[in-house]
Amino acid sequence: MSGGWAQMNFEKRGNEMGAERNKVERITSGQPVYPARLKEIKDFPKELFYIGDLKVLRQRCLAIVGSRKTTQYGRNMAVSMARRLAERGVTVVSGMALGIDTCAHQGALRGGGGTVAVLGCGVDVCYPTENRKLKEEIERAGLVVSEYPPGTEPERYYFPQRNRIISGLAEAVVVVQAGGNSGALITAELAAEQGREVFAVPGNIDSLYNLGSNKLIKEGASPVISVDDVLEPFGLNGITEEEAERLLSETERRIYNMIRGSGEMTIDDICRRLEKPPAYVSSIVAVMEMKGVVFSALGKIFVAKG
Amino acid sequence: MLSRIKTATLIGVGGYPVTVETDVHRGMPAFNIVGLADTTIKEACQRIRPAVLNSGYDFPQEKVTVNLVPAGRPKEGSHFDLPIALGIIALGWESPIAEDTAFLGEVSLDGRVNRIRGALPLVMSIRKAGIKNIVLPAGNAEEASIMEDVRLLPVENLREAAEYLRGEKGLTVYVKKQQQTRKIATRDFSQVVGQESVKRAILIGAAGNHGIMLMGGPGCGKTMMAKRIPTILPSLTYEEKLEITGIYSVAGLLTEESPIVEERPFRSPHHTISRTGLTGGGIKPKPGELSLAHRGVLFLDELGEFEMSTIDAMRQPVEDGYVRVMRNFEEVVFPSQVMIVVAANPCKCGYLWDEKRVCSCGRKQLDSYRRKLSGPFSDRIDMHIKVVAVPREKIRGTEAAEGRESNLSSEMMRRQVEDARVIQRKRYEKTGFKDNGSLDENGLKLFCTPDEAGEKLLSDAYEKLGLSMRAYMKLLKIARTIADLEGSETIKKEHIAEALMYRVSHWEQEPGV
Repeated sequence: MSGGWAQMNFEKRGNEMGAERNKVERITSGQPVYPARLKEIKDFPKELFYIGDLKVLRQRCLAIVGSRKTTQYGRNMAVSMARRLAERGVTVVSGMALGIDTCAHQGALRGGGGTVAVLGCGVDVCYPTENRKLKEEIERAGLVVSEYPPGTEPERYYFPQRNRIISGLAEAVVVVQAGGNSGALITAELAAEQGREVFAVPGNIDSLYNLGSNKLIKEGASPVISVDDVLEPFGLNGITEEEAERLLSETERRIYNMIRGSGEMTIDDICRRLEKPPAYVSSIVAVMEMKGVVFSALGKIFVAKG
Repeated sequence: MLSRIKTATLIGVGGYPVTVETDVHRGMPAFNIVGLADTTIKEACQRIRPAVLNSGYDFPQEKVTVNLVPAGRPKEGSHFDLPIALGIIALGWESPIAEDTAFLGEVSLDGRVNRIRGALPLVMSIRKAGIKNIVLPAGNAEEASIMEDVRLLPVENLREAAEYLRGEKGLTVYVKKQQQTRKIATRDFSQVVGQESVKRAILIGAAGNHGIMLMGGPGCGKTMMAKRIPTILPSLTYEEKLEITGIYSVAGLLTEESPIVEERPFRSPHHTISRTGLTGGGIKPKPGELSLAHRGVLFLDELGEFEMSTIDAMRQPVEDGYVRVMRNFEEVVFPSQVMIVVAANPCKCGYLWDEKRVCSCGRKQLDSYRRKLSGPFSDRIDMHIKVVAVPREKIRGTEAAEGRESNLSSEMMRRQVEDARVIQRKRYEKTGFKDNGSLDENGLKLFCTPDEAGEKLLSDAYEKLGLSMRAYMKLLKIARTIADLEGSETIKKEHIAEALMYRVSHWEQEPGV
């Protein structure tokens, strides 16, 4: 009896895996649908496996990468940048790792755009497992791609390998937050070798989380000083004066400019500057948050756009 | 020969009257107590014999049987010593006062009467049974004196009680000591600088009796602020004092120095506490921390460190306002109407969101921590408040600018809380609700309909911020309290907007951290 049970479970699992595997498609470098940009790099993969729609690669592409361990600041930046890019029709490429990668994918999905996840394992394998839901969403709205055949389990050394594909698919790479020995630095290096533009988001210099990304700037990467900077290579631009004019009331604009001026503020900071009680400020900030111009996270308010 | 002495026994935080029947018959000398007495009472045999003899009375060399009526319900407590001893001494006496006096007290071998646990609830149950004269240990007199309309007759030793019972000597009625001057509160919100927005949030939580979660890194002031919450809750009413003192009396937490609970409780159990320690219970049911915090604040510091099963055991009691403990003989109910305040670090090591220090938690650790913070218990906490440490320079700066800064004191905050509570009490007078925090879906429909602009913002928020149904309900409840604080019957747009600041933000739930 118990044998029957195990058998049944096994079959069921097998079928599920099979269903996942059935979705996987394969292209080779000889086919015209093979992404042209990727072919520019010297060790481009001969074949690619993917789930989703290759169409997103025909759009303009930008890679956002960073550490798995991050701060609120890094995550905010990744999400708002990806979202901004997606809203403007740019595809965001990343590696679906935890931390910055995940935030980048999420931001892009939230902005209603396409996003590409390049995996270091078979595309039917979900690694990290926490991102199962995210992976499904990406499969639906974008593309999950890998050079490893279906069923390949992740190995340590696969990840630096796949980084060349991340940068290879994109026109430019933004390193949002990277510690001293983050894998994102490998991606940045490869990107530079491949002739892609490398951006880095500067961070506090007394924080270990930003060591790598700040070092990149020192070594010549373009610093991103506003979220919309990354739109520049695509000839796009950010929130305009008129847009702010239209979107915000007078007090809101005042608060907005204050937050923009200092990068991040707490409600208490704003209260002090405006000489108004927290109740008043909180309600205004909440409305601004809904308008999508600011973010609140852990008691601090950040600018979302511009 | 037979005697009957009135007393009472404890059950949970209440009690019921008991009659001690003593009978002596010729036979082999023996001393038996029947009527579901527990070990402390059974042991009384050994204490009472020497106590009676040392007080100068005879102990019958015959078969003594003591029966505790009603015989079918369990009884506990050392306060049966005095009534049993008196029952033996009074055998064959014609006592004029035995009918309308009850006796409580534990006796020493030398006949002295010692302090007992649970004196107040015992006195209350005796009074409820219609008896006004109560003889009790002198050490418990002040505690019991909070009860009105009783004649408390404190005694120092068995002999005094016996002489009184026989009508030989009277006892003086205890007069409540003059109200002590109120202690100067050492904790005050005015000591908290530069956290005005958190103070505002706490004010809202206290006004509507909403559960609060304070989240922030180590050393940002979570505990400091939590400890000051009782100072902004309304002062205790007489009934509340009576109720709380009763609970503390049963728990044996009253001392002769502080016999009455005058201030709202603040309980902060350590995270290693057991389930029983938190909810109450045990073989002889005793109130747990939830009941000791009744009508006050239960503060769970480092929520993530508590056992998950311990936390979840609190869910039902917190919602119902009482703990139900079943024992073979009786069901015991402990009250547990508390304001829940929890503090949590963003991760196990505390530095997850810190800009300067690196979090040393592994991924699995982060996941299990996060799961703990979003369990069924924390889901029922209305307000999530983020606390950011105030940098040292700012604290100093604020002190300098103190004239300008609106630094709310506990006194000012309490007045606002009291006003908002009056409005709520009036609104919910004829309903089953107590305050905004206790509203359910029905209550929300009846009392929390925002005006048009508010409705618009609410539906925007629902869509744009991806609120869950539960988050939506919490939002309305908090907005109701904010409106009440302003004295506004309608919930306006700005009330909803402010309430939005206290929701669980998606950052806390998403992976990728």
